[in-house]
Amino acid sequence: MTKTIEIKGLNFFYGKTQSLSNVNLDIHDKKVTAFIGPSGCGKSTLLRTLNRMYDLYPGQRAEGSILYKGRNILEPGTDLNMLRAKIGMVFQKPTPFPMSIYDNIAFGVRLYEDLSRGEMDERVEWALNKAALWTEVKDKLNKSGLSLSGGQQQRLCIARGVAVKPDVLLLDEPTSALDPISTAKIEELISELKQDYTIAIVTHNMQQAARCSDYTAYMYLGELVEFGETDQLFMNPARKETQDYITGRFG
Amino acid sequence: MEHHSSKQYDNELEAIRSKVLLMGGIVETQYQDAMACFRVSSPERADKVVADDAQVNQLEVQLDDACSHLIVRRQPTANDLRTVMATIKVITDLERIGDEATKIARTAKALHERGPVAIGHFDMMRTIATLTGDMLHDALDAFARLDGDQALRLIDKDAQVDHEFRTIMRSLITFMMEDPRTISSALDTLWVAKAIERIGDHAKNIAEYVIYIVEGRDIRHTRPSQPSPDPTQA
Amino acid sequence: MNTMNPVYRKRLFRHRVGIALSVMAMSVGLVFLFWILATLIMKGFGGLSVALFTESTPAPGSEGGGLWNAIFGSFMMVGLSTLVSTPVGILAGIYLAEYGNENKFASVTRFVTDIMLSAPSIVIGLFVYAMYVAHVKHYSGYAGSIALSLIAIPVIVRTTDNMLRLVPTALLEAAYALGAPKWKVAMMVRLRAVKAGVITGVLLAVARVSGETAPLLFTALNNQFFSKDMNAPMANLPVVIYQFAMSPYDNWRDLAWGGALIVTFAVLALNILSRTVFSQKAPH
Repeated sequence: MTKTIEIKGLNFFYGKTQSLSNVNLDIHDKKVTAFIGPSGCGKSTLLRTLNRMYDLYPGQRAEGSILYKGRNILEPGTDLNMLRAKIGMVFQKPTPFPMSIYDNIAFGVRLYEDLSRGEMDERVEWALNKAALWTEVKDKLNKSGLSLSGGQQQRLCIARGVAVKPDVLLLDEPTSALDPISTAKIEELISELKQDYTIAIVTHNMQQAARCSDYTAYMYLGELVEFGETDQLFMNPARKETQDYITGRFG
Repeated sequence: MEHHSSKQYDNELEAIRSKVLLMGGIVETQYQDAMACFRVSSPERADKVVADDAQVNQLEVQLDDACSHLIVRRQPTANDLRTVMATIKVITDLERIGDEATKIARTAKALHERGPVAIGHFDMMRTIATLTGDMLHDALDAFARLDGDQALRLIDKDAQVDHEFRTIMRSLITFMMEDPRTISSALDTLWVAKAIERIGDHAKNIAEYVIYIVEGRDIRHTRPSQPSPDPTQA
Repeated sequence: MNTMNPVYRKRLFRHRVGIALSVMAMSVGLVFLFWILATLIMKGFGGLSVALFTESTPAPGSEGGGLWNAIFGSFMMVGLSTLVSTPVGILAGIYLAEYGNENKFASVTRFVTDIMLSAPSIVIGLFVYAMYVAHVKHYSGYAGSIALSLIAIPVIVRTTDNMLRLVPTALLEAAYALGAPKWKVAMMVRLRAVKAGVITGVLLAVARVSGETAPLLFTALNNQFFSKDMNAPMANLPVVIYQFAMSPYDNWRDLAWGGALIVTFAVLALNILSRTVFSQKAPH
């Protein structure tokens, strides 16, 4: 089984504070890898190193190596825009752009591809289908993205992410802000998307990790405590700390 | 073991645990009483065993219900999940032990009603009765203390119990062939021996569940093996 | 609820006193506002006529006349300065919002903008006089527009910067996460998210400069006649009002009130427009 991303010896600093220490793990191709752990354990920080999102903020820096397609993306000189086109991200709060639904999807595609009107229409339809949103919005593609409900907006963001045909999708607590039905729809979506994309998901909902993922990483205070197949980790974890966390036994 | 962040959760688990131990205690008493009235005629004791079984059955229903509620409310994982799964199976085995003890008591009552027993019925059962009594006691003890080593030791004893049973069967066949008048008593004794052997099997099952809780290994239907290193300290 | 409770009653009393004081303070403000408007309407309404919009300012001593040249002149100068200051102000605002936290130049720019915001407009007028008018040796509508632009630009920069900063980082990150370059994120996502607010900022800047008198005194001066030549002194409402209000001629004073009415209601209309058509709640 191939590894899409290999993280080796990753350290991360917010100014002088170290928030990730010596993280080593692999993200496997076309599998869902979940990151769980208490607040502040570094799981979102880790996710945001994978697409160099932290680069937007001076004072945040990463050391170590993250290999994607054989190249270390932490090296200076990496084309960040191209990287982010291949490793996409969906955030906790749905963030539709202030444009029509159609333009929301087309925005990312237009950055790197020159499609005719017909091709773009197809791409938009394809992306919205992938996000299980097409039937709900096909008659109102010109309406603003903000006119949709919360769950629909999040699916729009997912459609926007897949429209550019990335290799990897990073999902940062994608259902935290949604009601249970929208959450269920998106979890359903994740299990379909993983046939085509490698997915990494940060979640504070352990049952979601148990339901959705193939691999789970448990993090605590910036360190990777345990990483393994999800079923194994939830049935019979190797580390006591992992067991204490997932069964709710905190000090 | 540390406590859950939710005290309620701990209380619920503890309530289940104590009830299982209570059930185990009653079942153990049933067995001892049943063997006593097999040795010497005591119809009242036999009736008590039968009466106890009603309580055992009730506990089984309550415990199954409590376990379902725990699953729905707490979505247990890891060792908690294994504990609940194992508990559900243990109470089944305990209930069966109760049934077997009841059968022993009934058979013993019928045996003594027919008159003085000609064959040395109790003497030949002494070994298997003691072995099985120890197995049952150890199994309940191992469950209470989640002691994987104790569980493994008693699993090994089951082979002995099976061996004893076959010995008893041969003796009884000999008795029956030599003197047809002993057939009724001998058959009754055989049923009792079979019941005891089954109780031994149930005790072994309980021990296997203890290992499942403690180590996460399901060793049912495998040959007895070396204890593996314990990856989770309970 | 126990209304006999002494603590509660004392609190209720203080509450009522507070409300009463607030209402009185508001009434004072409103009273003066309505008094001004009423006076304006009363005094200026009489002067309103079609002639106001068709005839130019009358010569001293002559009868009748209108304010057409002044209205036209103000319109031209405010229009030109809006045309100039809007793109400059918006682009500067974008620059500050995108880079404002990163480098020295941006923080200096912001500081200077804040100072310019509160600079006395007469100083701006004098500046343009010294730097431009004195050199070309004549007053002009262009000079007036320059002065108005210098007043409008800081306003637009400020409002644009403030509005852009309201855009939540999550939205920007979402755009970056698709691989969008910085300028595209700034223009197509950030600016679009607050475009109503930015337009409001522009409208308010226009309203502000429409009424400025002092800078025009040293730059555009005034012109008794109708003129389309921006390179020469140009009539404008504020200066006309200034001159005519203190004059001994009745028709001039009437015209001054009429002009004041026009300016006031133009500003009022711009404010109402920005509050209704272009109202913007903070994004998300």
